[in-house]
Amino acid sequence: MVSRYGGGVITVASSSPDQLSPVAPPAIKSRARRRNLVVLVVVALSVVALLTQGLLGSLNYFKTVDEALAQRHLLGTKVIRLEGLVAPHTISRTSSGASFFLTGLQGKVFVVAHGTPPQLFRASIPVVVVGHFLSSTSSSFDGTQIMVKHSSTYIAKHPKRVKAPNGSVR
Amino acid sequence: MTKKLGRLALGPASLGLLALTFWLGYFVTPPDQVQGELVRLLYIHPAVAWVALYVSFGTATIASALYLWPRTRSEALDRIAASAVEVSLFFIALTLISGSIWGRPAWGVWWAWDARLTSTAILGVFALGYLALRRANDDREQRARRAAVFCILTAINVPIIHFSVLWWKTLHQGASVLSSNRSIKVHGSMGLTLLLSFIAFTLTFFWLLRARYRIEVIRDEKLQRSLATSIEQRRTEVSGA
Repeated sequence: MVSRYGGGVITVASSSPDQLSPVAPPAIKSRARRRNLVVLVVVALSVVALLTQGLLGSLNYFKTVDEALAQRHLLGTKVIRLEGLVAPHTISRTSSGASFFLTGLQGKVFVVAHGTPPQLFRASIPVVVVGHFLSSTSSSFDGTQIMVKHSSTYIAKHPKRVKAPNGSVR
Repeated sequence: MTKKLGRLALGPASLGLLALTFWLGYFVTPPDQVQGELVRLLYIHPAVAWVALYVSFGTATIASALYLWPRTRSEALDRIAASAVEVSLFFIALTLISGSIWGRPAWGVWWAWDARLTSTAILGVFALGYLALRRANDDREQRARRAAVFCILTAINVPIIHFSVLWWKTLHQGASVLSSNRSIKVHGSMGLTLLLSFIAFTLTFFWLLRARYRIEVIRDEKLQRSLATSIEQRRTEVSGA
């Protein structure tokens, strides 16, 4: 039996009131397969894009001071991310940013960084500086950005502070 | 009884614990030695990430695995998996947003392409892909099966996210919840509030999951009713012809 509905043609298996199931669903199946494929391709492309932008370029986000010093001749003036501890009493604020020594386990690098350092920037904390060595033999580093690498240790600022009965903190 | 208790108590309990977490986190706990007031994000971000990665994706993966096992296969498990991924997507977005808000003043950048952040973003893509895959299939059984396989395959990313801070050098700090030596270095009241935030957000997840599951059940019932009405209508048409 053929019936017309909304401009389309629907083939019905039988005119019997008990048999109403459609006869030919394969067109829907192939459409579903195509849509599945599109979804998987889009997901795969998005993941590849993220991996290309992120992990593959920098699975290790930075080089430590010791690693960078050891590979200095290979790195030349290539832009890298350099990680180390900000040496105490070496921070000097400049008109364009800050300069300080960045220490590793063995070596140290003098960093001149441009731009405003982050809120948490201070001595004795680990930081990652984006920039490059001035030459393949230099231990001076020209930084364009400072990122603070904080730890997962959280300690109260004033652990011995108590609250007085009147509500004031001492 | 348990169902009724869940229906009545889960919402108020979640909201109550969230309110308590915020009160303790913002008014009672002290500032941190290094991070100062920024530490207050500690009571949101790790707990939200915990729910996004482990609780919700874990729930979806277990439900998907049980669905694929013929002995335990049921529509309810498929609905649980779908609902869990949808709620997970919300928590993944919240994780990335709260992390970004914390990262800007703490690190100095909104975003860093390090292994932890990138792999979390990839999990978000997987969650979106899972939901898209469900929409791409009209056949219920096929949809459930394909979505379950996809969910299990993409869940491999969860341990990668967890261990990324140990396997590679990242800007993101090391794991503070399940660290390798099982120690949490968080000061007294800060630690307790952190723990409370985990309980509060976990309960919130189950509350949202329950609500999302109910919506799915109602939608299916409505579809069934509309199908029955259409068949009845068609039957009347054919008998009348």
